[in-house]
Amino acid sequence: MQNNSCSCKNNICSHPVQQTLLRFSLFSFLWYTLAGPDKTSWIIGIPAVAFATVLSQMLAPSSRLRISPVGALHFIPFFLRQSFLGGIDVMRRALSFRQLLNPGLVSYTTQLPEGSARIFFVNTISLLPGTLSAELHGNQVTIHTLDLSLSIWANIQRLEYHVAALMCISSPGKENI
Amino acid sequence: MTILYNCGTVLLMAGVLFFLSGTVGLLRFPDIYSRLHALTKADNVGLGCIVFGLALQSGSIAVTIKLILIWLLVLIASSASCHLIARSAMQKNIQPWTRS
Repeated sequence: MQNNSCSCKNNICSHPVQQTLLRFSLFSFLWYTLAGPDKTSWIIGIPAVAFATVLSQMLAPSSRLRISPVGALHFIPFFLRQSFLGGIDVMRRALSFRQLLNPGLVSYTTQLPEGSARIFFVNTISLLPGTLSAELHGNQVTIHTLDLSLSIWANIQRLEYHVAALMCISSPGKENI
Repeated sequence: MTILYNCGTVLLMAGVLFFLSGTVGLLRFPDIYSRLHALTKADNVGLGCIVFGLALQSGSIAVTIKLILIWLLVLIASSASCHLIARSAMQKNIQPWTRS
């Protein structure tokens, strides 16, 4: 038996109106930046922003996304450096005369809680050097790697640590979001 | 001003190199998974270089913010679609190419 009596599943979303307004203004900012100051662009812009707001409320109703500023300060340089290294790595393998690939699949069990942190983690794996997230089952991530001799585990663990710090998750696995 | 402009040009050329190597990887790599590596990583870095090169050349903060937003949106879209393509290949039981 499901309990549908309460429309608000978490006790966190105490300000749904505030949250909708916040999302609406964020999408409006996005539209304004991309479309420029031309006022007639809002003929398309307002319906698009409204649609995006409704869709985001439907797909992710309780946004408990807490970004730690200190975590972000550590994450951004880490991310930029790793994606640059990833690009160099692919360039080296693509342009070398010899075949430099030694691909394979690796399985990794993440300790990050379900939800935005885990999805963010899985998407960022694909931007690290030599790794690509191929499948996500619960907390099991299947990773395809270009070179099995790379230190994949250490890289992924470092990424997991950075994502946890970014999303204010003090000890992955303990906290339940 | 010209120094910034020239730095921008160097970044643009680096971006073109990354795009080129991504395309070479797409043609040379043996299976769908390794081709996805080539496309997502090289093209994201290539686009990043081009975005920052153009930002340096534009000398305008509004244009810089716009370019960085475009880059972030492309990053999100390409990593998500890369994961979806890889997942659908896994579900179709496409085995990755291995060296042996």
